[in-house]
Amino acid sequence: MSLLEFEDVHQSYGDEEVLRGISFGMDRSDVEVVIGPSGSGKSTMLRCVNRLTDIDSGTIYLDGEPVTTPETDVNDLRRRVGMVFQDFNLFAHRTALGNVTLGLREVLDYSKEEARAEATSQLERVGLADQADSYPAELSGGQKQRVGIARALAMDPELMLFDEPTSALDPELIGEVLRVMRDLAEEGMTMLCVTHEMGFARSAASTISFLDEGRVVERGPPEQLFEAPEHERTGEFLERLTSLHGGQQG
Amino acid sequence: MSAEAAEEPGEAVTTRGTIGVELGRRPLFYAVLAPFWAWLLVRWAYDWVVEPGTNVTAREPFFPTEPFVAAGETLRGVAAGAPAPVGGVLDWLAGGFDFVAFGLEALPQLAAGAWVTVVLTVVSILAGLVLAVPLSVARVYGTRAVRYPALAVTELVRGTPLLAQLFVLYFGLGLTKYVREVPGVGVGVLPDTAVVVGLIGFTVNSAAYQSEYIRSALLSVESGQLTAGRAIGLSKVAAIRHVVLPQGLRFAIPGWSNELIYLIKYSSLASFITVRELFFRAEAIGNETYLFVEVYSVAALFYLALVVSASAFMSYVESRVAIPGLGTTGR
Ligand SMILES: Nc1ncnc2c1ncn2[C@@H]1O[C@H](COP(=O)(O)OP(=O)(O)O)[C@@H](O)[C@H]1O
Ligand SMILES: [Mg+2]
Repeated sequence: MSLLEFEDVHQSYGDEEVLRGISFGMDRSDVEVVIGPSGSGKSTMLRCVNRLTDIDSGTIYLDGEPVTTPETDVNDLRRRVGMVFQDFNLFAHRTALGNVTLGLREVLDYSKEEARAEATSQLERVGLADQADSYPAELSGGQKQRVGIARALAMDPELMLFDEPTSALDPELIGEVLRVMRDLAEEGMTMLCVTHEMGFARSAASTISFLDEGRVVERGPPEQLFEAPEHERTGEFLERLTSLHGGQQG
Repeated sequence: MSAEAAEEPGEAVTTRGTIGVELGRRPLFYAVLAPFWAWLLVRWAYDWVVEPGTNVTAREPFFPTEPFVAAGETLRGVAAGAPAPVGGVLDWLAGGFDFVAFGLEALPQLAAGAWVTVVLTVVSILAGLVLAVPLSVARVYGTRAVRYPALAVTELVRGTPLLAQLFVLYFGLGLTKYVREVPGVGVGVLPDTAVVVGLIGFTVNSAAYQSEYIRSALLSVESGQLTAGRAIGLSKVAAIRHVVLPQGLRFAIPGWSNELIYLIKYSSLASFITVRELFFRAEAIGNETYLFVEVYSVAALFYLALVVSASAFMSYVESRVAIPGLGTTGR
């Protein structure tokens, strides 16, 4: 059974239909990379999974249960689905450690000591134990994003959503974030990643989806999309991306 | 704090305000304020021993006035015998001594009034804050059903004169009747009826203004912050409380300082509903002595000292709660 399943998902903003019937499934421990031009609906697709955006029709299933029904406990859903943002969105008033402890304390009801211990080990996991007491403004972009990942991981999610996690970073900081993502993938985390880092996609993805104008135009294992794309659009887009973002292997 | 300083980890600790740092920064300023407060606190304690509460009866002055009266008389005597220009100057100087003597005489009364002014201001701003936070959250994040009532209350209060509000509460609604019935009012250290009505008026008024400051501060918190809070599973209320408010309230501090300063001065309007605060006592002394200019000048110095202290305190608070990169310290 799929861990995450989209079934004919449609979503519009006003008159503009942004998702036009998305259907696909991912198994546990899959790494799905989503690529596509700006405005094609990639972010919207991710936001539908944890209900930051509500869909118009269709169904999304997490671990076999529909999560797009009115009865769904969205706070619990969001606890189970971690999200990493393009512009980090670290809590600006809390230290790196404080960013990670907030959910532990307020959502999972950890005690202060438990939360601190758990948060410290999550920061260690992303290589930032030494920055625990730094505020977001005192961290580099790459460090911020790793704290963002630790914050999401602390909730012990079943699925992680990444929305262009490296596209706001200086080129020399991209590698440290991709490395963390690659480690996560190797540990068996199920990941739905919007990213244009082709090195990462090629080596870490189990499947790549090419999204265009709200539709999955083509989907398949990396070798297939890179070597023998079925659609001309896919080939062109990948070629362009590879020349732009091919370098980082993480 | 410079932008570079914010980049340095560890810098965070040293830039946090401490009283020591504040003192070192403006020594002269504190050299003037410190004795004022030392005197005022001793004065309050001394008068309170006889009668605690807001209706303090001032006792005798600490500083003898005779030397100044005598100096004034002596100077005037010399002035009478001196040639015109010198005599004029001496006369003027003698007036200065008279003023000091008069001021010293008036100080205990004014200190008793200043106590009420401080109580009105501090209680109203804090109680106002407690009301303003939910009001502003309702305005920014509430559904229609709470947003519009909150807007209506805020606009009604901000759109009408404070003095009129006090009159409505005191004379119009006859709030005194009900307040008087409340057990504890006017007993022991608790404020008496008129003061309570004043507190209610200022609290409501200040809540409306503070909610405006906080509302715009909340709007300046990046929307991604709330999203990130929701994304880890916080409910909307929890995300507002733990993510948006801690940032928004920090952004609101400058506006809040303004409100505190306004409130110190506007509290003088309480004299119109018989609250014996600083302005009321100054006016009473004026009515008795006809030395209105003199007594209002001394009262003005009191207000000035209170306002300057409040703004120094608020900048201390601001630096105390500052977070690198957030609000006034970074960006
Ligand atoms: N909150 C919103 N309100 C209205 N339109 C939106 C909103 N978010 C996204 N859109 C529109 O939906 C389309 C898809 O956006 P998005 O999912 O962010 O695309 P992508 O992430 O692929 O660039 C865009 O045309 C964008 O303008
Ligand atoms: Mg996007």
